[in-house]
Amino acid sequence: MISMSSILSSRSGLILFFLCLVPLATAYLDQGDYLLRICSTAYLYMLLALGLNVVTGFTGLLDLGYVGFYLIGGYTAGLLMARLGWSYWAALPVAAIHGGLWGLLRGAPTLRLTGDYFAIVTFGFSELLFRIVKNEEWLIGGPNGFVNDIPAPTLFGYELWQYWQQYYHILILLILTLLVVYRLHNSRIGRAWQAISQDEEAAQTMGINLHEYKSLAFAISAAIGAIGGAFFAQFQVNISAGVFEFWESILILCMIVLGGIGTLKGALIGAAILGSLGEVLRISLSWMRLPADSRYLIFGAILVMMMRFRPAGILRSTQKSP
Amino acid sequence: MTLFLEQIVNGLVLGGIYALIAVGYTMVYGVIQLINFAHGEIFMFGAYFTFLCLAVLKFPLWLAVLASILLCALMGVVIDLIAYRPLRNAPRLSALITAIGISLILQNLARMIWGAEPRRDLANAKSAFLSQTVIIPGGAQLSYLDLSIIILAILLMVGLNRLISLTRIGKAMRACAQDKMAASLMGIDTNRVIGATFAIGSALGAVAGIMVGMRETIEPTMGYYKGVAAFAAAVLGGIGNITGAMLGGVVLGIAEVLGAGYISSGYRVAISYILMILVIVFRPAGLLGRASAKRA
Amino acid sequence: MKQQTLIETAPYRALCRLEIGHICSALRSSLVLLLIFSAAFLLTAQEAEAAKTIKVAVAGPFTGSVAAFGEMIKKGAQLRAKEINGNGGINSKELELIFEDDTGKDKEASLVATRIASNKKILAVVGHFNSSCSLAGKPIYKRNRIVELSPGSTNVNVCKGSDYTFRNLYRDDFQGSFSAKYIKGVLTDVKTVAVFFDNDDYGRGLRDSFKQSAEKAGLAIVADEAYDRDTTDYKAQLTKIKSASPDLIFIAGLYSQAGLILSQARESGITAQFFGADGVDSPKLLEIAGEAANGIYITTPFIFGLEGNEEAQRVAIAFEQEFGKAPDTWAALTYDAVGMIVEAIEKRGESRKAIRDHLGSLTSPEKGYQGITGLTYFDENGDCLKPAYVKQVVNGKFVAAKVQFLD
Repeated sequence: MISMSSILSSRSGLILFFLCLVPLATAYLDQGDYLLRICSTAYLYMLLALGLNVVTGFTGLLDLGYVGFYLIGGYTAGLLMARLGWSYWAALPVAAIHGGLWGLLRGAPTLRLTGDYFAIVTFGFSELLFRIVKNEEWLIGGPNGFVNDIPAPTLFGYELWQYWQQYYHILILLILTLLVVYRLHNSRIGRAWQAISQDEEAAQTMGINLHEYKSLAFAISAAIGAIGGAFFAQFQVNISAGVFEFWESILILCMIVLGGIGTLKGALIGAAILGSLGEVLRISLSWMRLPADSRYLIFGAILVMMMRFRPAGILRSTQKSP
Repeated sequence: MTLFLEQIVNGLVLGGIYALIAVGYTMVYGVIQLINFAHGEIFMFGAYFTFLCLAVLKFPLWLAVLASILLCALMGVVIDLIAYRPLRNAPRLSALITAIGISLILQNLARMIWGAEPRRDLANAKSAFLSQTVIIPGGAQLSYLDLSIIILAILLMVGLNRLISLTRIGKAMRACAQDKMAASLMGIDTNRVIGATFAIGSALGAVAGIMVGMRETIEPTMGYYKGVAAFAAAVLGGIGNITGAMLGGVVLGIAEVLGAGYISSGYRVAISYILMILVIVFRPAGLLGRASAKRA
Repeated sequence: MKQQTLIETAPYRALCRLEIGHICSALRSSLVLLLIFSAAFLLTAQEAEAAKTIKVAVAGPFTGSVAAFGEMIKKGAQLRAKEINGNGGINSKELELIFEDDTGKDKEASLVATRIASNKKILAVVGHFNSSCSLAGKPIYKRNRIVELSPGSTNVNVCKGSDYTFRNLYRDDFQGSFSAKYIKGVLTDVKTVAVFFDNDDYGRGLRDSFKQSAEKAGLAIVADEAYDRDTTDYKAQLTKIKSASPDLIFIAGLYSQAGLILSQARESGITAQFFGADGVDSPKLLEIAGEAANGIYITTPFIFGLEGNEEAQRVAIAFEQEFGKAPDTWAALTYDAVGMIVEAIEKRGESRKAIRDHLGSLTSPEKGYQGITGLTYFDENGDCLKPAYVKQVVNGKFVAAKVQFLD
C-alpha cells in the first residue's frame, strides 16, 4: 500500500522524484542531451559499483577484474541483438545469467584464496577475456572486438534510443539493483557475508558454509556487472574491446573505496562523483581556460588527496569491527 | 636449434628487465603489503631523467645515468613520504587507490612535459659499441646492449641479495617484512627502513628504464605494460620474495618469448597472465613463496 | 498471520528503510552534482551567445596513448583555420575550431560526440581519428544529423549505414590490396612475404586484405605475426620471421611501433625489404628508426614532395614556419577536411543540413573537392575513392617512389 504521497514525503522518494524530473529540465538546456548522457553514464557506474561492492565491499575480497563481467554482459547482449536479432528484453536476462555463470566459474578455483592472491587471479581473468575478445574474430565477428549496429530496445513498437528514454532505462535498472542489493545486505545472507569479511575461520566455525556464500556473492556481483554491460551495449551501439580495459576495473574500485567501502551509500556516492568527474573536469577546465590535457592529472590528484584526508572513504563503513 | 636459442636469449633479456622492475614491486609489498602501482611510472621516469640530463644539462652518458638513478631513488622516497606514509594505519585499499592516483599523476605529468610521442634520444645517445652484435656459441646473435642487460641484471640481483642478507639495513628490511610492529619494538626505525626499500626498488627500476630506453623507446605509457608484466613476474615468484621476483622475471620473459614464437603472437601478453593464474591456483604462494595462501 | 503481513508489506518496508538514510544522501549528492552541471552549462551557454563565429568541432586523441596523432590533427586544423580567418573568414565570419579530446577511447568518444552534437551551434565535426571512436560517434551524429568527417579512420565499417559519416581517405581493404598489387607489379624480386601486424582493428583489417590479395597475386606468405600496440619489444616475433627468411616484410601498423620494428629488425640481422602503409607515414618514423628506415616503401593517400602539387609544398612550408616541425599525413588530411567543411558552408549556407547535403553531392570526380591530398569524392556510403601513392625512404628522407600505380 504505497501511496504517492507517502513516497513523496520520504526523503529518498523526494530525491527520486527530482531525479525523474531531470529530463524535463534538461529539455530546456542548451546541451541537455549531453547532461543526460553524463547522468546516464554516472548511473551506469553506480550500478556497476553496487555490483562490485557485493564482492569487495561485503565479503572483503579485492576484485581487480570486475570489468570482465561487464565485458561478458556487453558482448552477450550485443551479439544476441546485433547478430541473432534478439529483443533486448530477452538478451538482458540471458546476459545476466551468462555473467553470473562466469562469476561462479571464476570463483571455483579461487574459493580457497584470500587477500591479494584472489585479487591477482581476478585481474588475470579479466585481462584474458580482454585478449580473447580482441583476438578471436570467429567468436565476435570482427577484429578488436567490434560489434556494430546493436539495435535499440523496443517497447510497444517504439525504439528507445533517445537520451531521456535511456536515462529512465538506466535509472530503473539502478533502482531495481539497489533494492535487490539492499535486501540482500540486510538479510541472513548479507550478515553471513559480513562475517566472512571479518574473519573467515570464525565464520566457518559459526556454521557458515564459506564456499556457498562466497559463490553466491560472486554470481550476484557478476550478474549485476553483466546487466551493466548489456545496457552499455545498446547505449553505445558500436562496441569495441577498448572499452573493457583494466582501467575500468580500477575506476570502479576507486569509486567504492572513495565512497567508503562496504556501504551502499558509499558505493553510490563514489560512483556518482568519479563517474561524472571526467566530464565535470572537461567542462570546468575548458571553462577555466586550463589545458584540457591536465584532466587525468587532476583526476589522480583528487584520488590522492581524498585518500590522504578521508582514508576510510567519504562515508565511514558502518560494519567495521567494533 | 639456433632459432630456439635466439628466442631463449630474447627471453633472457626481457626477463632481466622484468626482474629488475619486479624487485621493486616485491620489496615494497614485502614491507608494507602495498601493490605499488606507481612503480611502473618510476621506471618510466628513469628513462626520462636520463634523457633530461643528456639533452638539457649536457651531462656525459655515465653521469646522466648515475644522476637519473639517484633522482629516481629520491623520487621513490619522496612518494613514500608524502603519499604512503600518512596512510600506514589506514585501510590497505586506501593506499592502493593512492598508488593508482600517483601513477596517473606521474604518467600525465610526463606527457605534459615531454609530449606523448615516443622518443629515441636515449637509443641514439648510447655508444656505437653497444649496438654491435656478437655471435654467442650455438649461433645465436645478440647486441652488446642485450648482453650487458643480462650481465647487469645478474650482477645487480646478486648484489641485492648480498645487501639483503648481509648488511644491517638488509636485516632490518627482513625484520620489517616479517613483523613491522615487532621490528619497531626492537628499536628499528621502520619508516627509515621503508624509505630505504623504496629507494633501492626505485633505483633498480630506473636502471631497467634506462636500458629499455636505450634498447627500445621512451614514452609516457611505457611504464604500464612493462609494469604489469613485471608485477605478474613478482606474483609468479611469490610476492614479497626477492629471489622469487628474479626467478619470476626470467621465467615470464622466456615464457612470453617462446609463447609468441611457438604458440600465437596475438596472445603474447596473455601468456603471462595464464601462467600467473595457473601458478596462483595450484601454488598460491608462487614459485618460491611461503606455503600459506593467506596474505591479507 | 503476522508472517503474512510482513511479506505483504515487504516492498514498502524496504522503501521505508531505504528512506532512513541509505540512498537518500547518495541521491542528494547526485542532485547537487546536477545543479553544478546546470550552472556550468548556463554559464557556458551565455558565453557562447556573445560570440559571432562559425563553430566546427575537431575531435581526436589529444591525450592518451595515441596522442602523437592527435597533435598533428590539431595542428593541421589550426593552420587551415588560421589561413581561412586570415583571408576574411567564412562569409566574413570567423571560423572557430572547438577541439574535443576523445583520448582514443570509444567510451570517451561517445561522450564527446554527445557534447558536440547537443551543442546546436556546432555545424560539423572533423574527426574522429581512431576507427573505434568514429564508430562510437556514428550513431550519435546520425541521430543529431550532424556531419562527421574523419581524417583518419580506415576501418571498413566506419561509414556504412550512416548518411552523416564521411572520410577523406581510403579504406583498409583498398590499401591492403593496392600494396599487394604494387609489390607484385613493381618489386619483382619479391617471392615470399611476411606480414607483421598491429593486433588492432587497423592492423588486422589491413593484414586481412593484404594477405588475400597477395595470395591471389601469387606471393607466398611465409609468416604472419601479430604485435600489441603497447609493447615495445618485438624481438620474439622478429626472430620467428627471420627464420622464415622472407624477401619482404609488410608492416600493418602505426609509425611509432613500425620505427622500432625497423631498428630492431636490422639489429637482429634481418635484411628483407620493408613495406608499410599510411599508418607508418610520418616524419616521426625517420626519427625513431634512424638509418634503419632507409629503403622502406610506404603507401599513402598523398605525397608532399610530388611534382605538380605546389599547393601541398606551400602548406608544408607554412606548417613548418608555424609549428617548427614538418607536417605528416594526418595533418594534411585534417587540413583538407576542415577545408571541405568550410567550402560546404560557403556554398550551401550555415547549417548542419547544408553541410551534409554538400558533402553528399560530391559523388563524382568532376564534383569532387580538390585539396592538397588530392581529389576527394564519395560513394553512396560516404567512403572516399582516392588514389594511393607510394613513397620510399632514401638517405633518411621521404621521396616519391620511381614507379607510381595510378589507375
